[in-house]
Amino acid sequence: MTGDLLLHERRSLAEELLYTAAGHLDDRNWDAWLALTTRDFHYRIGAYSPEIRKQMIWLEHDRDGLVALFALLSKHHTDHAQWFRQLTLQQVEQTARDQLQTMSQLVVFATAWDVGDAHVEAGSTRVFAVGRYRDRLERHNARWLLADRYVQLDTRQLGIGTHNIL
Amino acid sequence: MTGSPLWSWKRKLGGPELSFVDSSIYTDPEIFELELEKIWRRTWLLAVHESELPNRYDYRTLTIAREPVLVIRGEDDKIRAFLNVCPHRGTQLLREPAGNLSEASPSGSAKHITCMFHAWQFDAQGRCTAIPRRRAGYQERLDCADANLHPVTCEIGLGGFVWVHLEGNAPALSDYIGRAFDDLRPHLEAEPLEVFHHHKAVVHTNYKLWHDTNSEFYHDYMHHFNRVTGMQQPGYYDRRYTAFANGHVTVSSMSVKYDAYEHSETALANSRDLSFPGLEQNGWKVLDLFPGITLNLRGSALRIDTMTPLAADRVLIEFRGLGLKCDTPEERQRRVRDHNTIWGPFGRNLPEDLLGVTSQGRGMQHGSEPLHVLHGRREHSAIHDELGLRCYYAEWSRRTERSARDPYSSDCSDWSITRAHRAVGEAE
Repeated sequence: MTGDLLLHERRSLAEELLYTAAGHLDDRNWDAWLALTTRDFHYRIGAYSPEIRKQMIWLEHDRDGLVALFALLSKHHTDHAQWFRQLTLQQVEQTARDQLQTMSQLVVFATAWDVGDAHVEAGSTRVFAVGRYRDRLERHNARWLLADRYVQLDTRQLGIGTHNIL
Repeated sequence: MTGSPLWSWKRKLGGPELSFVDSSIYTDPEIFELELEKIWRRTWLLAVHESELPNRYDYRTLTIAREPVLVIRGEDDKIRAFLNVCPHRGTQLLREPAGNLSEASPSGSAKHITCMFHAWQFDAQGRCTAIPRRRAGYQERLDCADANLHPVTCEIGLGGFVWVHLEGNAPALSDYIGRAFDDLRPHLEAEPLEVFHHHKAVVHTNYKLWHDTNSEFYHDYMHHFNRVTGMQQPGYYDRRYTAFANGHVTVSSMSVKYDAYEHSETALANSRDLSFPGLEQNGWKVLDLFPGITLNLRGSALRIDTMTPLAADRVLIEFRGLGLKCDTPEERQRRVRDHNTIWGPFGRNLPEDLLGVTSQGRGMQHGSEPLHVLHGRREHSAIHDELGLRCYYAEWSRRTERSARDPYSSDCSDWSITRAHRAVGEAE
């Protein structure tokens, strides 16, 4: 197609966006993260349950829903562990002139703060979840942005759960 | 311990005018073992929903009071339960949490359960169908008919759930539940239900503390969502607990005001006109069943909590979400969103509840100074009354033959039990 990107160009563009976005989430810099998404951004977290043999969607929001979710975080009692998103870009395809489809492996580490016996456990790190980001990236006004994110979890036990997004 | 500051504090909160339980019932490993024997091995428990076994030869596995159990839909479409243990040498038979027998296993034929160790084989009705080289080894001393799987008492009911009881002479499920299901029955038995959500959490707390949380609404102060959609809305304080025999309680309905939740249009607006048969729009009813099952019907989704106690300070909690089997894809999507926005692992309420009981688990540990845990709110059975807790511990005491207030006393006919029984009587 016209405007085909070379593989290393695709990888470079995708890595720049995805890794920067992951860093903003780790920093809980929601505004900076949202600034990397399109106006019609769509976000889902899902997992397949072999117990009930069904694909499940555990969280689903459009951009406005995420804005609301972030705004309400301070009103919830929650686990304030520090998250560290280890992201490895695995696949990147150009599906249109201004569109990339990517798959990244995701490991979320959680460094404990206030859940459990904080005297003993605060500062210890565990794996919170593993899964994959399946993202659609779009170019808008020369900027590459996240247009769609589906977080496909392998982990189905998330302890007490979270108010956060992955 | 008399004279220590902690002891004084305990006495201060433990006056005869207040109902309480001793925190040792949440922490003592010996009491936990007693509970497994006196309660969990001797009661009806919700295992799965029939929609988890839609096809012949579908199975699910679980553990009840350390007994491996399998639930399977037979070739005759009937659902049965068995111990998931080979009668030969005690090997666990089915290892996956769910599956179907239509494919042959590495050492056995299709449509059969085959022990991986010595290839003893059983059909989906639990009958032993093959013992390799039986005559050569056992001659006439052992017949296949002697080696069937151990059956577990099983009934289907109360909205299509599969109930199991480890005792062979179990009372009828309907006798155990009594009238406690009457309020939910019109909504859950008008149409077949279907599970759309399942997740689980291993939580470091005592299992009763989770059921306690499900049995009182005073903790709505913890939930921003419940405060704005419930506590601050008309009808909240009109909700009433009703206690039933065997430790069960129900909570009457109110209409939840979803649109009071900030920005709720993004998640819940589309669900508001979707309900269950006969349930008022945005209605909310709860049934807590002894010893650890909760049916929570709110708006468009039914949530089911079941527990598998693992130790005095550890419990596996399974969460299911259900809708109607006849849902259109669009209706189902709305139910899923409604359910998971509040009750999923990324929901607004569930992490808060689990954080609360995890904190209780840290606050009360085996070997620490026992506390008196208050169950003493009395508000004429209204929503912040702790009748549900008193009802539960009356049944707990009856079954364990221990006083929840003083579990190491030989006299279980103490004040807290008689008051709790009286409270149950008053409510009914």
